[in-house]
Amino acid sequence: MATDVKPTRKNLMAIEDRIELSERGHDTLEKKRDGLIMEFMDILDQAQDVRSELEDTYDRAQQRLDMARAMDGDVAVRGAAAALKEHPEITTQSKNIMGVVVPQIESTRVRKSLDQRGYGVLGTSSRIDAAAEAYEELLEQIILAAEVETAMKELLDEIETTKRRVNALEFKLLPELHSNKEYIEQKLEEQEREEIFRMKKIKDKKEAQERAEREAAEAESVSADD
Amino acid sequence: MSAQYGGPAGEASNYEYVTARVSARRASLFDEDDYRKLVRMGTGEIARFMEETEYGREMNALGARYSGVDLIEYALNRNLAKHFNDLLRWATGEAYDYIARYLRKFDAWNVKTALRGIYSEAGADAIRSDYIRAGEFDDDLLEQLAVADSVEAAIETLEQTIFADALREAYDDYEETNLLVPLENAVDRVFFEDIDEGLPSRVQADRATELYIEFITAEIDFSNVRNALRLARSGADMDPAAYFIDGGRLFDAEELRQLVGNRDQLVEHIRESIYGDDLAEALTELEESDDIVRFENVLDAALLAFADRLANRYPPSVCSVLSYILAKEREVDNIRAIARGREADLAPEEIETELVML
Repeated sequence: MATDVKPTRKNLMAIEDRIELSERGHDTLEKKRDGLIMEFMDILDQAQDVRSELEDTYDRAQQRLDMARAMDGDVAVRGAAAALKEHPEITTQSKNIMGVVVPQIESTRVRKSLDQRGYGVLGTSSRIDAAAEAYEELLEQIILAAEVETAMKELLDEIETTKRRVNALEFKLLPELHSNKEYIEQKLEEQEREEIFRMKKIKDKKEAQERAEREAAEAESVSADD
Repeated sequence: MSAQYGGPAGEASNYEYVTARVSARRASLFDEDDYRKLVRMGTGEIARFMEETEYGREMNALGARYSGVDLIEYALNRNLAKHFNDLLRWATGEAYDYIARYLRKFDAWNVKTALRGIYSEAGADAIRSDYIRAGEFDDDLLEQLAVADSVEAAIETLEQTIFADALREAYDDYEETNLLVPLENAVDRVFFEDIDEGLPSRVQADRATELYIEFITAEIDFSNVRNALRLARSGADMDPAAYFIDGGRLFDAEELRQLVGNRDQLVEHIRESIYGDDLAEALTELEESDDIVRFENVLDAALLAFADRLANRYPPSVCSVLSYILAKEREVDNIRAIARGREADLAPEEIETELVML
């Protein structure tokens, strides 16, 4: 209990306002947390699919690269890879999921046709085409996985933050405010009781004084009559 | 060797001598038992096994610079170059000319290696190590290419070679697109154009030349088939005629252009050609599984078998040498495939399906 709060009616009203605001905030944050969790579950499913597809694509790409290196030689594969300097372009935009800004990654020139890969067609084999194609597919999957997993991470961070805020409101701030309110209410009641008691005492005292004065006056008038 | 092409001019051909030397070399190539042993070895065991074979000298020479499967691959390339240089050393006259024409594919390889290295700024050392010195380019020319500071400078270095004109023509395209494709295609095209340049017609040719023409025609046809299938599969908006190699008998440029758009017709065309019987099984497999890689292996095996048949038909001819060249290349490809396959933990059975053996 915060005993450093001044038990005044003004403070009590302020605390009551804060309690109302905090409870409203708590409800809103709880709804946000639940919404975020639902969004997260959707993205989690998507991320699991993307991750498993990514692993399959990686295995396939690696297998094709191994085959190309085995059959055409490492030198030929490295040579074919060196025949292209241009890199795919990746641009990021952002989208908003329940107030959480997540990236949206757009890629261009990842998938290439045979004449865009840099190496000549006449002097290379379809094993190199297959490896290049598989790696282009892998790169696309990596970009998709990066988008989905970053969104998942951002959502997870936001859920964590929201959960902490909800918990802070629920288990710290609101109990404290309620306790302060109770404390002030008790103090005010106590002060009221003391006031009433004091008033009663004053009243008794005044009555006793009046009675004494009345009795003295009566005694005086009796002695005068005598 | 010189960058200025041509063997000892005016000398008579010595097919008998070259064929006899080649027969001895051919007998020492790895056989199926060797491959069967190799696919069950680890990469270290393969390297040790090779040290005890005729690749031992190259393995030891390169052992300080490379290790593991890279050592095996570079040793294979160097050994291949040594053997093919021997062929050029032994041959004279027409035999030299025909062998040199065929081995210029390594000149084309080296030009592309240099262009790619310069383009990607890989450095002269990387270019030097990736050369396969089995063609006619001498060491000086290869060194000048490796240290050239731009693609343009490399093309100027090739001024005295058969690649000069084609590369100059393709340079504008390269500048426009900043892609090596036009230059690489130009180099490969020059190789194929040069291979049958100036040969007499089949009717006028002597027996050796006739067989050479027959082999080269088959190689060009197979290359056209391979390229047509790749173009058909890629779906890219590319003009098939630009990748057509003249000199085959399977297609002309217009036929190829039409067939690339319709793969079923293309397969049917090959099936009905003179290669139909050799490729029947592979074509059926291609129709069923769409696996071009497997089909390319079958094409390689078919070309090897075709060269063997020609060599057997007329032993003291250039065909015996060409058949040996293909067999040696195949041996190198097979050993490398086994070593790289084992390095990548591929199962022996999986590697065996990729090997081309006769």
